Amino acid sequence: MQIRRALESQGFQVVQTRLANENPSFDDRSALANAQTGAVFISLHVSSTGLPGTARVYVNSNLAGGREANGLIPWDRAQYPFLGLSHKFGDLVQGNLAQRFKGSPGSAQASAIRQLRTTAAPAIAVEISSVSVDDRVELDRMAPGVADAVARGVAAFRPSYVVANISGALR
Amino acid sequence: MSARWIRLVLGGLFGAVLIAALYFPILQRRVKQDAKLQPQTEEQARRELTQSLTPTPSEPRVKAKLYWASNANDGSLTPISIDLPLSPDPVLRSKQLLNTLLAGPVDPELRTLPPDAVLLAFYLLSDGTGIADFSEALASSIPSGIESEQLAVDSITRTLAENVPQVMRLKILIHGQEAETLAGHLDLTGSFVVNPKAAQATIDPAAESLLSSNANSRH
Repeated sequence: MQIRRALESQGFQVVQTRLANENPSFDDRSALANAQTGAVFISLHVSSTGLPGTARVYVNSNLAGGREANGLIPWDRAQYPFLGLSHKFGDLVQGNLAQRFKGSPGSAQASAIRQLRTTAAPAIAVEISSVSVDDRVELDRMAPGVADAVARGVAAFRPSYVVANISGALR
Repeated sequence: MSARWIRLVLGGLFGAVLIAALYFPILQRRVKQDAKLQPQTEEQARRELTQSLTPTPSEPRVKAKLYWASNANDGSLTPISIDLPLSPDPVLRSKQLLNTLLAGPVDPELRTLPPDAVLLAFYLLSDGTGIADFSEALASSIPSGIESEQLAVDSITRTLAENVPQVMRLKILIHGQEAETLAGHLDLTGSFVVNPKAAQATIDPAAESLLSSNANSRH
């Protein structure tokens, strides 16, 4: 919710893939994201492990054979044409997170994340460490910093979101 | 009923309560001990059933490099050299290595794979794709999160890359089935690069529908 507010305060429109305890499939979430024009996709997670008080940004690792012979990109490789932009977007958000949370990496890492693979937009996953903290307050304390870092990252990424043959820019 | 009988019944009840009060802490201790012992015993039994891989005297002891989590708790891996009797056969060798990886390091905090997970089978295809079939515990007992799931797969692929040059890619199955993710995050529908150079040389882009490369993730 804090991330939503931080993004809206920067003038962005936010669409959430879920609002309560419903559990849409990966494809359902991607379908909702892919229906937006000029969108970026951010998947938020809290890990069970890792250095408490840190945050990591992940982008999809390389997908081989992105396009079919007919030039179309299959659904299960929808992220393929956006990999470069996702890396740029991820690095910007990770840079902001590293300034706020010591011990966080300086740049985004690549990982084969299922949710990102079918997303036809610059897409990142942000993971906060960790649920293993003694007091939940420690995690809650991170929320404003994470929200601000993500919103600043999206704002910094906006001018570079230009994709040939893919219409739109961030609204 | 006479007063004497009432006293006898009350005395008997009091005695029973006293014995129960004394026995209860002992019972509680035994239940706790059993609970601690049970998973280990089940795990050992499963391992014994699935691992008919006792090294033969002819198998030379080799300094193998296995990858477990580093002490820094920063999501990185550390290589540990261990003297292991390893078969020259790549399939047997892969099984021996993955079983050692599953058995875990000396410090259980540095485990990358759940202690109750079991390697059910390992196959090696002619194109260098290794197929590792793990029990459901690999998916159900691993701490959820991108970092822990990535660490688990990286520890497997890097251990194989270091010790079994024949394995170029790795496909992970859960109980004989293809799983969409390991524990909700990491994509298991593709295969992971084990040996990047060799995998690149043999890859057929048309046949390989999806290759989820982890070559540049944590190496």
